Amino acid sequence: MKKLLRTLIPFDIAKGLSITGTYFVKVFLTANRAKVKQHVVSEYPEVPAPLEPRFRGRVQLTLDEVGDPKCVCCNACAKACPTGVITIEGGKKEGRKTRIPTRWDYEMERCVFCGYCVEACSFDAIKLNDQFELAAYDREDFSLGLHGAHNVLEPSPVGKFSYSDEA
Amino acid sequence: MPTISLTQSLLISLIQCVLVVVFIFVVVPLTVFAERKVLGYLQQRLGSTRIAGSHTGLTGVLNRGMWTLGKVPVFSYFRGLPGLVGDVLKMLLKEDIVPAKADKFVFWIAPAISFVASVVVFATISFVPGTFFTFPHWVPVLGGLPVTGGIADVNVGLLWILGMATVGVYGIVLAGWASNSKYPLLGGLRSAAQMVSYEVPLTLSLLVPVLISGSLKFSEMSKAMALDVPIWAVFPQLFGFLIYLTCGFAETNRVPFDMPEAENELVAGFHTEYSGMKFGFFYLAEYVNMTVVSAMAAGFFLGGSWLLPFGLQGVINPYLTWLPSWLLTLLCEPHAAFFALKIIFLLFVFIWVRGTIPRYRYDQVMAVAWKYLIPLTLVNLVLAAAVRLAM
Repeated sequence: MKKLLRTLIPFDIAKGLSITGTYFVKVFLTANRAKVKQHVVSEYPEVPAPLEPRFRGRVQLTLDEVGDPKCVCCNACAKACPTGVITIEGGKKEGRKTRIPTRWDYEMERCVFCGYCVEACSFDAIKLNDQFELAAYDREDFSLGLHGAHNVLEPSPVGKFSYSDEA
Repeated sequence: MPTISLTQSLLISLIQCVLVVVFIFVVVPLTVFAERKVLGYLQQRLGSTRIAGSHTGLTGVLNRGMWTLGKVPVFSYFRGLPGLVGDVLKMLLKEDIVPAKADKFVFWIAPAISFVASVVVFATISFVPGTFFTFPHWVPVLGGLPVTGGIADVNVGLLWILGMATVGVYGIVLAGWASNSKYPLLGGLRSAAQMVSYEVPLTLSLLVPVLISGSLKFSEMSKAMALDVPIWAVFPQLFGFLIYLTCGFAETNRVPFDMPEAENELVAGFHTEYSGMKFGFFYLAEYVNMTVVSAMAAGFFLGGSWLLPFGLQGVINPYLTWLPSWLLTLLCEPHAAFFALKIIFLLFVFIWVRGTIPRYRYDQVMAVAWKYLIPLTLVNLVLAAAVRLAM
């Protein structure tokens, strides 16, 4: 009898309709305001995507108080790197006790963003920054060094196709 | 009432046809757009928010400007609207592929049958009883002549509607047959079985308004169902409405019953082999059919061009005479706007149900029709007969 009633009177359908109807009203009322976001999808290119704290982005060197890279050219990262994208050559600088990199090459094309280099580093000289919009039109832009527009000391310039940071 | 010459009556009919076609071709693309947006909102998404790239198109530029200002675009609800133009262009410009072994003539005529059968139903649907508007006297040939609310509000309107709606099945079956391919054939056969099955409860549920109003004329039926029914007639109407709506979903092959298409089983069902504007006609026919089913539900059950549904207007009207006259005209008189609003609401319900209920299995679809809906409609018919007896 209960089953028959359940079949005849569409309770379950009404329940489902009320759920989706609630979603509709909520999203419809807030889609324009975006103060309290009710929709689960993000408007990514327009609104910057929120990142998790442990997100592993591009390799970047950290700087000391003087503005030089903290790197002491111990090559621990280069040895730890599974794809071998790091090449370091050390040199000397006046007034600095440790060595300073004269060449710090990073081939982003082959980097797998595993973060082993960060783990291997004993001097906190490498970090993985929060950049993920790394696409570029030129292959040269993936070979990062100490100099040039794309370098390992600062974040990559974001391509023109993404206007998340235009505002 | 002035006597009308043949030329004048033909001209008036032509104007009515144009008005109805304009109505259809305003409502249908907006439904296509609304389907994307509403489905998105129902599933906590935003629907289509851009067209091709975010840089192209009018709303793209506008929205981009607002994002640049650091604001959420005010045109948010309408983002993606120009995508409709893209859709139409795509359908018109796409290569029209005909399978080598297809029956060329039938393949060509199937979408036409499908589309024409759905549009032609609008002939007997009257948007407002009596005069829709009267031409002012300065209009050359037609000055002072009234334009009625329906193209041809014939005495057997319901018969015409049901008959033409059945012809629509031919379009689908012929498309499935002419494609000479297994999935369209299966889709076409399924649709034939499904639509023939659901014709029965659909017609039976429409017999309730026929029984209570004692007419087959659309305007008379909607008037009788809105004004001249006692309060207890709400129950057969309510049940009849729900059953009619269920059958309407099945007749238009919408999602809980979309057997002919069944994306996960039959690729795209009967229109698998269709492309370009031929597919476009099937697509249009589906939405015109939705509009027709909505218009019939609005006319027969939801009070037509009167404000209140289920015959409550006639019950309440005597108690409203104390209202100021302009409010009385607004609330108690028929308006084409109310009819259009009800159609739009029912179209929303179509999308709402699509966004909520998953597809039935094929045997379940048949079971629902034969085991539940037909007995229920018969019971409902007896209920309506009792109401008729007591009236």
